[in-house]
Amino acid sequence: MLLLTTIQSVNILIVPLLLVGIIRKVKALMQNRIGAPILQPFYDLAKLVRKAETISKTASWVFIWTPRVGLAVAVIAALLVPWSGVILPLEWASATNFLLVIYLLALGKFLTMLAAIDTGSAFGGLGASREATISMLVEPTLVIGIGALALGAGSTNLLTIYAARTSPFVAVLVGTALVLAALAELSRMPVDDPTTHLELTMVHEAMILEYSGRSLALIEYATALRTCVFLGLATQTLLHAWPSYQALPMLLRYPISLAGLMALGAAVAVAEGVLVKLKWRSVPNFLAFAAVMSLLAALISAAQA
Amino acid sequence: MNLSQIDLFAAGAAVLAVWMCGVTHVKAQLWGLALQTVMLSGICVLQGAAENQSQLFALAVVVFLVKGVGIPVFLERSAKRMDIERDKGVSISPTLTLMIGCGVLFIGYFLAPDFAVPAMMNQGSAGMALALIFIGMLLMITRRLALSQVIGFLTMENGIFLYSLTQTRHMPMLVEMGIVFEVLIGVLVAGVFIFRINRSFEHIDVTDMRRLRH
Repeated sequence: MLLLTTIQSVNILIVPLLLVGIIRKVKALMQNRIGAPILQPFYDLAKLVRKAETISKTASWVFIWTPRVGLAVAVIAALLVPWSGVILPLEWASATNFLLVIYLLALGKFLTMLAAIDTGSAFGGLGASREATISMLVEPTLVIGIGALALGAGSTNLLTIYAARTSPFVAVLVGTALVLAALAELSRMPVDDPTTHLELTMVHEAMILEYSGRSLALIEYATALRTCVFLGLATQTLLHAWPSYQALPMLLRYPISLAGLMALGAAVAVAEGVLVKLKWRSVPNFLAFAAVMSLLAALISAAQA
Repeated sequence: MNLSQIDLFAAGAAVLAVWMCGVTHVKAQLWGLALQTVMLSGICVLQGAAENQSQLFALAVVVFLVKGVGIPVFLERSAKRMDIERDKGVSISPTLTLMIGCGVLFIGYFLAPDFAVPAMMNQGSAGMALALIFIGMLLMITRRLALSQVIGFLTMENGIFLYSLTQTRHMPMLVEMGIVFEVLIGVLVAGVFIFRINRSFEHIDVTDMRRLRH
């Protein structure tokens, strides 16, 4: 129990910001510069927490409460979802329905969109409408993809799904679809450049443009947690294509999963250095490939069941 | 469902056809076509090894060289000479075409038992062949460039070839080789035709060629 508590604490407190730091470091190396130290996100968060906030006069309670609810939702998801290979024996975790988790995260996204429109700035509305368009294609991909795994495992409980045996085909297909959907959901290349300073090209950053100080710290932390959850789920699914991964004890699965997660993060950073941002009209085309992969995985899963 | 190796190759060809639905670059479509045909020649090799007929190996080599390498290279050179890179604007967006192609794959999978010949063991391939035929038809209908329509026609021909390969006891080799060469001649004639159309009209956009007089 003490071991599990330690693992969970490390998962929530250290791994997310470390992952973000590694992604930024690899991207900097790709661009032939040294870049900030790997622990920079920790220092950034410490700095932001100390700063004062500037809130627009036209903002309402939605603007102030969104970062808090977003962080709460992200922490719940990070605790419930087995993104690090550790299956927790908690009593209330037996209600970890995958639809519940996906729609909890969607609740956070919904509030972020509302808060973006709440500030009254034009860029907020732009970012919110783009984010809504992307969600329309990403959510079916996630639901059908994890649903394909659920068909194979015979249950909609996430913990059961990731403890069951899956066919390698389905695992690889769903894993790839999850990686593509994660790129869109976390606003990474090629859907959205996270380091852009041009507001007309922003999707996710336009929604958090108005935040500063502590709220921004909460939002950055929530984004790091969501990065871990999505990339972690994709890593777990891809690792399940390796048949002997199931047989390993948890103490071995945890470091392998973490290594896989960091490797996937580095791959995302390499892709970010190599790809260009898609024209906005081509984004649904890109996401359609992920959706079709999920559909095919569901077909294979249903055929084998 | 038990997937034999032949079914796997057939499924690979059908999935490549679905992928072709979603890309608009002519070069990417030609790669999809080439890889599809390579899968089909792989099926020829597998069947030759299973039934121990050396004619099937010869057919596999011919299919690979003519339909897998020759035709895509010829179409690529035509496209380069006409300065075409992408199929700019199809009637249905590539996203929707991709979804419809996936739906067609599902239909092919579920209709497979009705179309398969029970005596042959490859039930899944009948469904994949059906899917290839339908996706070829879909590509022919929804693409604007005459060159993309030729690619759709070739996909359909691949589907028919796959069906005859896996569901019949083989036709005489002369007939099979004759069919392959006829397809080659058809594509050559179509390629020359399209080149001349491009020379006269400065484009090969079929939506602009609906009337005899402008």
